[in-house]
Amino acid sequence: MVFSRLFFIYIFLPVCLLVYAAARGIKQKNTVLIIFSLIFYAWGEPAFVLLMLLSAFVNYSAGLLIEKHRGKKGDTAATAFAVVFDVLMLGVFKYSGFIVENVNALFSLSIPVPHIRLPIGISFYTFQTISYIIDCHWEKVDTQKSFKNYLLYLALFPQLVAGPIVRYSTIEKEITDRKVAVSDIAYGLNRIALGLGKKVLLANQLSIIVGNTLGSISTASVLGAWYGAAVYGLQIYFDFSGYSDIAIGLGRLFGFHFDENFRHPFVCKDITEFWQRWHISLSTFFRDYVLYVPIFGKRRKYGGLFLVWLCTGIWHGASWNFVLWGLYYGVFVCLEMIIGKKRMKKIPVVIRHIYSKAVIIVGFGIFYFEKLGELGTFFKRIVGVGTSELIGLQDKITLTNNMYLLIAAVICTFPIIDGIKKLSDRSFAAKSAVSSLTALCSAALLLLSSIMLVDATTNPFLYFRF
Amino acid sequence: MSYNTAAAKNTGRSKNKKSSNKKTDERPAISIEAENRQDTNIDVPVEPAGQEDTGKKRAAVSNVISAFNAIIVGGVLACGAVYMTCFKHETRADDENRYLAKFPEFSFSSYLKGDYTSAIAEYFDDTVHGRSEIKRFISDKLLPLKGRPYGGDEEVELYGTAFEHIPQQTEPPVITTVPVTTSPITTSLPAVVTPETSETPETSETPETSETPETSETPETSETPQTSETPQTSEAPKTSEAERTTTAVQTTAPPKTTSAVVTTKAPVKDESEDANGEVTNNILIVNKRGITLYGGGWGGEVTYASYVNEYKAALPNVNVWSMPLPTPCSFYLPNKYKNLAASEKADFDNMAAHYNGVIGVDAWTALSQHTDEPIYSRTDHHWQPLGAYYAAQEFAKSAGVPFDDISTYDKVVLPGYVGTLYGFTKSATLWNNPEDFVYYKTRNNVTVTQYSTSFTNPFRTSLYLDPTNWDRSAYYLVFGMDDNIRHVKTECKNGRTLIIFKDSYGNALLPFLTGSFENIYLCDIRYFNINPIQFAKNVGATDILFSMCSYSAVGGNKSHIHNNLLK
Repeated sequence: MVFSRLFFIYIFLPVCLLVYAAARGIKQKNTVLIIFSLIFYAWGEPAFVLLMLLSAFVNYSAGLLIEKHRGKKGDTAATAFAVVFDVLMLGVFKYSGFIVENVNALFSLSIPVPHIRLPIGISFYTFQTISYIIDCHWEKVDTQKSFKNYLLYLALFPQLVAGPIVRYSTIEKEITDRKVAVSDIAYGLNRIALGLGKKVLLANQLSIIVGNTLGSISTASVLGAWYGAAVYGLQIYFDFSGYSDIAIGLGRLFGFHFDENFRHPFVCKDITEFWQRWHISLSTFFRDYVLYVPIFGKRRKYGGLFLVWLCTGIWHGASWNFVLWGLYYGVFVCLEMIIGKKRMKKIPVVIRHIYSKAVIIVGFGIFYFEKLGELGTFFKRIVGVGTSELIGLQDKITLTNNMYLLIAAVICTFPIIDGIKKLSDRSFAAKSAVSSLTALCSAALLLLSSIMLVDATTNPFLYFRF
Repeated sequence: MSYNTAAAKNTGRSKNKKSSNKKTDERPAISIEAENRQDTNIDVPVEPAGQEDTGKKRAAVSNVISAFNAIIVGGVLACGAVYMTCFKHETRADDENRYLAKFPEFSFSSYLKGDYTSAIAEYFDDTVHGRSEIKRFISDKLLPLKGRPYGGDEEVELYGTAFEHIPQQTEPPVITTVPVTTSPITTSLPAVVTPETSETPETSETPETSETPETSETPETSETPQTSETPQTSEAPKTSEAERTTTAVQTTAPPKTTSAVVTTKAPVKDESEDANGEVTNNILIVNKRGITLYGGGWGGEVTYASYVNEYKAALPNVNVWSMPLPTPCSFYLPNKYKNLAASEKADFDNMAAHYNGVIGVDAWTALSQHTDEPIYSRTDHHWQPLGAYYAAQEFAKSAGVPFDDISTYDKVVLPGYVGTLYGFTKSATLWNNPEDFVYYKTRNNVTVTQYSTSFTNPFRTSLYLDPTNWDRSAYYLVFGMDDNIRHVKTECKNGRTLIIFKDSYGNALLPFLTGSFENIYLCDIRYFNINPIQFAKNVGATDILFSMCSYSAVGGNKSHIHNNLLK
């Protein structure tokens, strides 16, 4: 099921909220959440819900074994087993076709390529299980003794299919002890409206421009290629951050506090900062669990970095462009590391902004083109090879036809709401006024988004495919 | 991603530090305790316990504001839920030419595949009460907020991809066939009756037509009950859905079709995922007219020629005609936007240069002489029946058959027509500028029998459907849908039997040829499930006409012409 469907917003969610409100005590409420989460997942993937349950059972059991054999070999063995199981599961379902295709190409073999359907959300919930197991092993968290509670952590529908990748430590306490205040309900509903607005009013509309431009890269002009990739970046941002907003808002309605997943990434001044603001739950996952894997010896600083960016790329999809995309960012992060923070800061801010935005835009171009031939064409177009035109007529037309949308999208990348909040914090009256206004704005956003959804029955979130 | 030294603590090195401090100081910065976390973005200023300086009064006010906030937004949610569930669900969308989704019937297999549950969600999403009005509101009030039209008075809007700098075709056209037949009619007329044809009527015509009085079939009124059951109703979603979701065929077509030229003998062609679509989303709206931007054949026109040549090779005694049909892009695109599209004329000429025994019919020139008449819809990707009349006239002239003047038809005007281009673009410009859909009813007595795409299950129908109970769409509602085979038996007694292999453009040709051929079989290349050569022999065809718009001829749809031969 997709958050941005009328069916979810106006039928599934209200029913779930009503039943949840009617349930008494935390155990009943957890049961309700688990049941609705399984229904939510099984709505589109009735068979794969079993796979998720299997994953939950294996990792839950591994957690118990880790606890039981704490400090002994069994601890490490259970950890290794669970992590290998998780990685293999992800590998089989997500990468087997890609691996076989490349082995065939490399060794001129003709091994039948498996066409396995990717279970929705497998990349997200697998990472959650891995983080849980490693945290148990590192004694960062207490092992969850109740399978029901563990299942709730893993299957909680607000974050089940497209993140954010919630750490067990984040909601450990709240699984068994949480309260929902009126302010939580208000915050949650506002956040859902905001996320839906980002997705429906911005991302969906921007996707049309992307189709216009990157969709015909062979005939794109120089600025057309840059323009298309930039708009695609905006689309992805509003799409994914919108989803994260909805997830955080939904979580709050049930009393869970998820961490932020995006912090206005496009205001960054360099690439390192960009990744501190973009898909934070994934970045921190790799930072915490992969970066310092001691397999590179003395060179682990750069070796780990290479591994992180390789993983970041391949996590996004079984395709070479994603590998290239990850390594591409790795190169720039590495470069900035070599230059050093102090020297980076000495570079004029304008130059740093131009540099970071150019790198990010080209990065989104790499992200878009899964076919390497088209990617090659994109690279040619952005440097003016194969086209004599700086800007095409169609670019002018689409720019004019969408000028207010684009302006609004760019403005929304800035922390406007945070700024207003800071200003309003200075006086109670201002704060009250802003909060009241927020209610009206959220209601309007929800209404407008819903109206737009009447004419957009299929608009899945892009990160579903990852 | 931040890679500072603090992160290094988050490794196994802290493994033995346990218990009391493990969730405080030594805990890695992977999360923040919920109670310490600050709300971001939209924040509700109610944290009574943590705001010592606000006092009870302020906390109470904050609570009230929070409650107000929750009630307002929650109210929208609740009203929406009531609206979605309690209000009457729509059943059809006139502006989209389709019936809306129905609540699915449960089956275990459909549930396991996820189809059942998906269909439930689809049902609720698709059948929202007042769907058409809401869509109109979106077109009228919301979408124009995205920007403004380009080009001053011309008010240009672009939907989808346009084309500029169309590269020259690098591969030379494959000319492996013998030179084009230059003596079109004399060699093939009159129609040749092959030995097989004498046997066919019994088998193919068996069902019903011979017993029924022809006169009673002419007007559509008597057929109303039947027409209401025709695929027009049940299949509408299929077509419109296919067309709605089609995207930029041309953008992907070039490399694929170019290579296809070389391998015309390959067993099965699958040149496009969008093979069932006729039109792409590449639509320019200029001067209140929607124009689909033709992206060029890129060698596809040569492949098309090779495919129709295969029919001629298999049926040497049958006249095989090819009349590719231009779209408004050829005639109504202002000069300053010409380079957004390729030339249909050039591709048609290239096509004609590669016919081998197939006789080309130049509808392009015929239509170009009537561009000041309403030969194309402004709001629909189809032509108007008047355009079909001029093309049919050109074909009849080439085929040497009689042709009824338009004055012999009864003109029917359906005002307020907004066609498929509105569905593709949701453009308020199109919605607010409806047009007349004008069609012409023949006075000829005809018997029309409709078959399945496998030429089975015949039933009597009429030449035109009755569009009066639909709001604003007409083309499909007058000429019917495409996924069937229709046989028209006319009063014309010239012994000619024509098979028209077409896309939906070809539907409008049919009425204008009822005075020209004794039998006409209207077959859609996309929905034809029997071998066309055998079919032609069975029905005793003397003429085969390929007539479809440029998109179908050079795009993915043309693969059906070849693939049907393998059935």
